[in-house]
Amino acid sequence: MNRVLTFLFWLAIVLVLTFITLPLLVVVAASFSPTSAVTFVPWEWTVDWYGDLLADRWLQPFLLSVKIATLVAIISGALGVLAAYAIVYERVPGSDALMAGLLSPLSVPQIVKGVAIVLFLSIIGLQGFLGTPALIAAHVVLALPFVTRMAATSLANFDGNLDRAAQSLGASKRQRLQHIVLPMIKPGVLSGVTLAFIISFNNIPLSVFLVRPGDTTLPIAVINYLEYSLDPVMAAVNVASMAFILTVIFLFEKIGGFSAQLHGGSK
Amino acid sequence: MSTIALAAPAALPSVPARTSGYLVLAPSCLLLIIFFALPMGTMIGMSFTNAETLAPTLFHYQRFFSDGLSLSGLYRTAVMSLLVAFCVTVLGYPIAYYLAGSRSRWRALVFALALAPELAGVVLRTYGWLIILEDRGFINDALINLGIIASPLPLSKNLFAVVVGLTHVVLPFGILSLTTSIQGIDPNLERAAQMLGASRLSVVRHIILPLSIPGIVSSLLISFTMAASAYATPALLGGAGFKVLATMIYEQVLFYIDWRFAAVMAIALLSMMLTVSFLGIRYETRRSLRRSNREGGAA
Repeated sequence: MNRVLTFLFWLAIVLVLTFITLPLLVVVAASFSPTSAVTFVPWEWTVDWYGDLLADRWLQPFLLSVKIATLVAIISGALGVLAAYAIVYERVPGSDALMAGLLSPLSVPQIVKGVAIVLFLSIIGLQGFLGTPALIAAHVVLALPFVTRMAATSLANFDGNLDRAAQSLGASKRQRLQHIVLPMIKPGVLSGVTLAFIISFNNIPLSVFLVRPGDTTLPIAVINYLEYSLDPVMAAVNVASMAFILTVIFLFEKIGGFSAQLHGGSK
Repeated sequence: MSTIALAAPAALPSVPARTSGYLVLAPSCLLLIIFFALPMGTMIGMSFTNAETLAPTLFHYQRFFSDGLSLSGLYRTAVMSLLVAFCVTVLGYPIAYYLAGSRSRWRALVFALALAPELAGVVLRTYGWLIILEDRGFINDALINLGIIASPLPLSKNLFAVVVGLTHVVLPFGILSLTTSIQGIDPNLERAAQMLGASRLSVVRHIILPLSIPGIVSSLLISFTMAASAYATPALLGGAGFKVLATMIYEQVLFYIDWRFAAVMAIALLSMMLTVSFLGIRYETRRSLRRSNREGGAA
């Protein structure tokens, strides 16, 4: 009886893991498909589809996405650190309410935020703001709660005695911020900034309302293309953009992101 | 501004620090006001006004609740989200049970396989399901080539495809919340039951399952809200054959340019999600109340 159960349990695990990995494997395989119909022929394959990625059709949206995601990461990183500093370090009066306010966009679905922003801009006659500026602003609104929360957690968790020790040894506030507080919260902030970059780079539900012809991000260009064709160039675009995201995560990791945080702060 | 005035008396020793505290908060608050609070307020306000005269009216809401199309969109969204919540929790449970209890070297691999897809982005995964489920996709292609069926099975552009795609998108989040909850169960309970002769199955049924109900509830909640607000997956896998509120809102804004009706639909979606989250929070508070009452009685 127990043996049957163990077998069924493992069967369930293998089936679910297959379900999870199947579409990813299919996309990677399809990106090497020899014909424009997506097929699986292990002994016939081509990398031509990856060559097509350098066409303006994909390069332009990719560069715009990178530009927007970079700016979003920088802006939300700076704003999030400042907000967390005021709320957790300075403990300004009403900090709980302020924190709740700063996190409130999380409780509204992205698609609703997207409609609200596009209606608002249209009503006040700022349609010209649509495209890149609106995309940046909206993505920052989306990413800011995450960055603020991560920065606030790092600030709340670091050993306040270090700061007090420096203070009693006569360090000025600026010196303490520069040499103690900022280095201590760096891993948390970097994780937040990486997350902000990924959130912006992959975003669809907000971007879909805010792009303009000629000002289109990569995921939106991809879903627009997918409405008409499923050919393997799509697989190549998707695999390439996943490789790009993994590289970004790896680079941030190198300069002291996620795992440094897991190991309890930087040196 | 009034907050600064209020802050001044409380902050005797470090008035400049407090003021600078509000100053550094200002950019974030300003941004959230301009690009979140004002747009939300405008959208809600607009939904109650006439498009030409701007006079207050409930017309758009009446239209929403008397229009078969929008009501069936609401209904489809609810059915889809319930099915996704159910599938995610059922499929995620064995994985979470394994991740919570195992100390084997396979654990890291299972963990990576279960969560890595989250990095791949929604479009890639949805595209994967498209080429698997499509009329000329892998499954139909294989079945036709094997002579099992003559014409393609309707696997895409319907409820089935959207539920499969969304279950895949949401599953990692369900697994995480289930794992956290199962990990919180005291392992001694399991050992005690086994020592007293309970079979594996009855340990799971009488100990693990009942004690992981909070995790099951949070997995259901996360899955429901994520599914209800998803856009890309229903747009690509459901298409014109299976429209949900999210895709209908997009149509109203971009194709019909009916802003007020789009606002009503967005508010309907938001209300549905807030209601579900509210029920979840109420369940959680009741449960912890009951527990603290019990503990209070025992003491």
